[in-house]
This record gives sequence, structure tokens and C-alpha cells, in this order.
Amino acid sequence: MAVHQVETIVRPTSVEEAWEARRREPHASRFLAGGIDLVLYVPPTVSTLIDLSSLGIAAVRQEGADVVIGAMATLTDVLESPLVGEFAGGFLRDVLRHVASPLQRNAATLGGAAVRAHPWSDVIPGLLVLGARLDVFDGKRSTVDLSDARARSESPSPLVLAVRLPGASRDGGGAFEKFARTGFDVGVLNCACFAIIERGLCRTARVAVGGTPSVAQRLPRVEETLVGKPLSASQIALAAQTAAGVVDVRDDRRATAEYRRVLTVVGVRRCLENIAGLGTEVKE
Amino acid sequence: MRIHLTVNGTERTWDVAPGDTLLDVLRREGFVGVKKGCGAGDCGACTVLLDGRAVNACLLLAVKAEGHAVVTIEGIAQGGRLHPVQEAFLEAGAVQCGYCTPGMVLSAVSLLSHNPDPDEAEIREAISGNLCRCTGYVKQIAAIEMAAARMRESR
Repeated sequence: MAVHQVETIVRPTSVEEAWEARRREPHASRFLAGGIDLVLYVPPTVSTLIDLSSLGIAAVRQEGADVVIGAMATLTDVLESPLVGEFAGGFLRDVLRHVASPLQRNAATLGGAAVRAHPWSDVIPGLLVLGARLDVFDGKRSTVDLSDARARSESPSPLVLAVRLPGASRDGGGAFEKFARTGFDVGVLNCACFAIIERGLCRTARVAVGGTPSVAQRLPRVEETLVGKPLSASQIALAAQTAAGVVDVRDDRRATAEYRRVLTVVGVRRCLENIAGLGTEVKE
Repeated sequence: MRIHLTVNGTERTWDVAPGDTLLDVLRREGFVGVKKGCGAGDCGACTVLLDGRAVNACLLLAVKAEGHAVVTIEGIAQGGRLHPVQEAFLEAGAVQCGYCTPGMVLSAVSLLSHNPDPDEAEIREAISGNLCRCTGYVKQIAAIEMAAARMRESR
């Protein structure tokens, strides 16, 4: 269905030009990436879309140890990228296989998914546990943690140029669990875990649970139970039970809070077992 | 505003409203093989190929097609001969009411152009965004397997 309220499409050819267009009309404009979300949920005040297609921010590249994914790369581009496939055992690629249908992955962008952060987003928990950062522009270029960027409330929010997978996460392993009938469904809950194991002990552990029905959050208390410990069955069970105690779940039309709490235990346990079973690289 | 694109191999210049979806515009311009279903990216009846990748035309603003190549179901037969996926759908009996068929066929074409030898799970995944309310998907999967085999043989 046509989005009748949209009156103007701006096609900037530079980041500065795009930002200036957005800054000029903070309430009446939005950045247009893949556009899927705007077609479905365009805010009523918005009459101008700023198409980011000509900014040259769609490539996936290596920058030092980081993998930098241009904000306009589609989810399919990311899924098929060898650089992403080699990073953290291909964890992000495995997450994206659970996201929507190929039809939508061929159009949706990673930058858009990171910015919109729907409560049911399967992308956000995966990025959170990888420690993803965002390259942004708001008159000047900077790099911010994804979790910090989501907490900021300035208007307009910065233009996201890229999603940066930090090299520090390269040698870890991750696992993702989504409770839904198919990847195309909105999940009842999702869960992502990531660990770097050295000499049999967790040097780094990150756990995020989403679709609670709020957008994914990391669970620091669960992570604390894992750091410095082996990923043994008993440690995994303890982490899963801790997660159930601290996760912020609520009822909605898809599931009760009680059911989501049970799923949290199952999701965290399965993810951590998968990581342990994958035999995350042990560094000497 | 004006957009320039290629549709089924022919260059086109169209005047569109900024908020028109590609689905709106294609149907208005006579490409009615692109079906309108849910309008929300759920059913896949509006599937087209954008630079060889299957997308929901209902979720794509027409302005996003600027400079790109669009293929609709009208554009995949060559020289009066149906595409192997279309032939296989006919032979396997993969069509009932037919409303989902153009989208399903284009998703299959997209899959086979990137993965000539998909297994059943990959086929199911490829058509997961194309809903069929008549069938249980069995015949469509058989058709795509048949088309894949024939396309491999003809290479």
C-alpha cells in the first residue's frame, strides 16, 4: 500500500548532506535504508525520506581485526559475506538465518535492523553478545557501543554508517536460540550467548535475551557466573537458572511471563551447551 | 518524481509518487502477474526479482528501484519458451488456485540462480516467505527439485 504521506525523497550523495537533510527536519524526516520498516510503520509526522542508497556504505570490509559491515548491506549480503562467515565461527551468519524470510533479508539492511531494534528483533541479541559497535555521524564521525546508542534519546539520532564487529570477539564462539515455529515467525523469545574460552575457562561471556517481549538486553549477572569458570554442565545449569531469576519478562498475546521465564532457562542452557560442544578455540 | 529502471530487460522511465510501492507501480504499468496479497510482506504474492534477488514488491518503495533491474513473472520465459521452473510447476501439478504461483516461481528462480543444487531444507527456506493456502507445499518442492535437476543437466 502506498505511503501517501511521503511527499519528498531526498537523495544525498554524501554523509554530510544526508545528515544536514535530517537535521533540518528532525520530526518530518527519516533516513531510508531498506525501507521495509518505513512502509509498514512510517510515523504520522514524516513526509520526507532521505534515501541512503548513494552514500557508498554497503560494503563489508576488514579493518584491522574488526569486521566493518556497511549500514546499507542487506541481511543477505551479511549472511553471504566470507568475512562474516569467518568471524567468531560464523555466529552472526547463523543468527541471520533465523531472521524473517529470504524475501525480506534481500531488502532489509543491517543498519536498519540495528537502529529500529524492534522488541522481537533477532538481530539485536546477536549483535549485543558480539560486542558490536556502531560507526555513526552526527556532524562528526564517532564509534559508539550498540547498547549505548540504543540508550541515547537525542533527536535526530545519529546516522549509522556501519556495524563494527570488534576484533576482540573474533576468536570466540556463539549460539542463538529462537523459540518460534519458523524463522519467518516473530519469536516468543530469543536468546544469544557468546564466550571466549582460554585454557578451559570462560575469559569472556555475554548473554542476551530478547522478545521478552521487550527488545533484547544483556544479563550481566548471568555473565558474571560464567567468567573464570569452565563451561561445564553444572556451570551451564547455574547460569540458566540465574538467567531465569534476572530476566525481565512480561505477558503479551504471544506468551505469558511464566512461560518466557521457562524458555529463558532452556534458551540459555541450549546456547551455552552448543558453545561448549563446538569446542571454542582454546588458546595456549 | 521520475525513476529509471529496467523491467524484464527493457529500460523504463516512470513518474511515481514518492510513497508508491514497487507493487503499486508495476501493476499500474500493466505487470499484473505481480499479485497483491497482504501488503505487509507476509504472503509473498508480490515477489519480484531485484537485481536477481527475490524481494517483496509491497515493502519496497518504487524509488528504491531507481537504477536497478526488476524481473516479474512476465519476464522469465525466453523466446516463447517457459522458464524451467515454470515448466516444472506445470508438470508437477504445483499450481492450484495460482495466486501464489508467480511469487513462488520467482523465489525458486532466485534460489536456483545462486544455489543450483539445493536440498529440501534449502528449498523450504527459499519459499518460506511465499504462502500457499491451497496446498501443503509438497508439489512445489517437487517442482523446484525437478527444475534444479534439469537446469543442472542443461549446463
